[in-house]
Amino acid sequence: MLAAGLCLAGSAEAAVQAGTPAATVIAIPPLTSPDTGAKGNEMLAMAWQATQLIATDLRETAEVMPLTPDRKDYYSYPEVTAPSFPKWRDKGAKALITGFVRGGADGRLTVGCYVYDVDKGRELGRKGFVVAPSDWRRAAHKCSGLAYEAITGAPGPFDSRIAYVAESGTGSAHVKRIALMDSDGFNHRYVTAGDTIVLSPHLSPKANRLAFVSFDGGIPQVRILDIASHEQRPLVGNGAMTFAPHYSPDGSKIVFSMMLGANSDIYVVNANGAFPQRLTTSPAIDTDPSFSPDGSKIVFESDRSGSQQLYVMNADGSNERRISFGGAWYAAPEWSPDGTLIAFTRRSAGARQIGTMNPDGTGEKTLTRGPADDSPSWAASSREIMFERADASGRPALFRLTLDGSDPRRMNTPQAGSDPDWSGSID
Amino acid sequence: MRKSVLAFTLASIATAASAQLPGLTRREPAPPVPVQQPIDVLRADFAAQSGGTTVYFIAGSSGLTPQATTTLANQAAWLRMHPEVTIRVEGHGDPGDTRDHALAVGAERAAGARNYLVMLGVPAAQVSAMTWGKERPGAPRAVTVIVPNPTAPAMIPPAQ
Repeated sequence: MLAAGLCLAGSAEAAVQAGTPAATVIAIPPLTSPDTGAKGNEMLAMAWQATQLIATDLRETAEVMPLTPDRKDYYSYPEVTAPSFPKWRDKGAKALITGFVRGGADGRLTVGCYVYDVDKGRELGRKGFVVAPSDWRRAAHKCSGLAYEAITGAPGPFDSRIAYVAESGTGSAHVKRIALMDSDGFNHRYVTAGDTIVLSPHLSPKANRLAFVSFDGGIPQVRILDIASHEQRPLVGNGAMTFAPHYSPDGSKIVFSMMLGANSDIYVVNANGAFPQRLTTSPAIDTDPSFSPDGSKIVFESDRSGSQQLYVMNADGSNERRISFGGAWYAAPEWSPDGTLIAFTRRSAGARQIGTMNPDGTGEKTLTRGPADDSPSWAASSREIMFERADASGRPALFRLTLDGSDPRRMNTPQAGSDPDWSGSID
Repeated sequence: MRKSVLAFTLASIATAASAQLPGLTRREPAPPVPVQQPIDVLRADFAAQSGGTTVYFIAGSSGLTPQATTTLANQAAWLRMHPEVTIRVEGHGDPGDTRDHALAVGAERAAGARNYLVMLGVPAAQVSAMTWGKERPGAPRAVTVIVPNPTAPAMIPPAQ
């Protein structure tokens, strides 16, 4: 680890804030290309864009600090796998990314990335990706992820998607639409028409399907959207109110809440809607279920004690036990992808804040000041949380929070946004 | 604005009723007695006669207050007189609640109000319940809404 003071003037904008742990400095010389002639120039231009995107990705993290890429540091193709290290040591870098972009005869791009430990002069990892030219951003995000994982041990959150509810208008003209975007805000698009209220989007692990709640049939019901084909269907077709859907980590099942009469209980169903099975039987409100990453347990919220509290049960509904005892109300739990933490909304004295606790209920931390925060969703890295914060006028926006205690950053979305769901790293 | 519309609607009901009284003459023949009145007329009459379409709850609670049960009893009395009417009870959660818990609380409130109406003799098949969660801002409440009757779709215009 390296102190911020060693960082050169060229990367001043990446300087670590006082009080945060030192980040690992990484050098990103321009990606190169083995191609020659006009194609070579085209590939080098794309490689430079990819280089800058990798730097932008890594600058967003609390753990990795990129040196600003400089065209003068250009490597030849053979040097990609045989870089010189002393130069980067001198600049204070602990890690190095090299790579190339090659155009294929079929028009597709091959992007190769290599990550090195500069001190030891040793390769930490390499990966190659073959993508359509329009997907060059995804390939660059994969390179960022390779570096992030080599340095932190956690999966990178860069090649992932965010689903959320885009809100516009007020009063009776209030329109809610489900929107999808890449985690850096690119490729923004709407996937529902806005003619009915929609809530609670949750992406499948591969981000190819979306479970959400729609009032289309006059009552709130979970529907499944195939993102590529735009086809929609109800999750279960029994006419009951259903809400709060969450995919299992392997994508094979969905947990959700169903109202039978006045009673909300938690059910699990195959992702195709077959064989719904009831998991909770309390006469209280049981809702907001979320699987542990190994699929063996489910955390949920229940007011069976008289106030909303968090409970953990086995995935078959057995062994329910309360885990929250912090003196407030707790809701909207989501289990972190690495299994170590549960994020939640904490309600007390009129304020809603985002916090985390260990799965056994110990180590509770409040991470935001509120007063109108809700719907935490984990990044693939388990080091960041996205959530919804409403301002004084009630207008919600999406915020990104790192667990290191720095201030949440507002996401740039075209409209007001609520109910964020941050997918895992897509293939 | 709303009050004047309501007053006008009630006046037109009174006129229609008086036209059917024996001994009174009209310049034009009385219109045929409709099998069902227009839904907005029914809604206005229901609201006026039952003392309100809305019952309110204490924040965080789905229990019916004494005031709520009084209103629901009045609603049930009107509904028993209008067996042709189909209604939907729409529950609302608390604005400060989390989204999914608000959905469940709204559904509990709607179900509680619905069950009370059914207990007082309103045919269960005519009363459905749903929740808006916190999607329609306002006080914690359940609203009884007269909806188009599925068995006589031609007689009643769709709800606005």
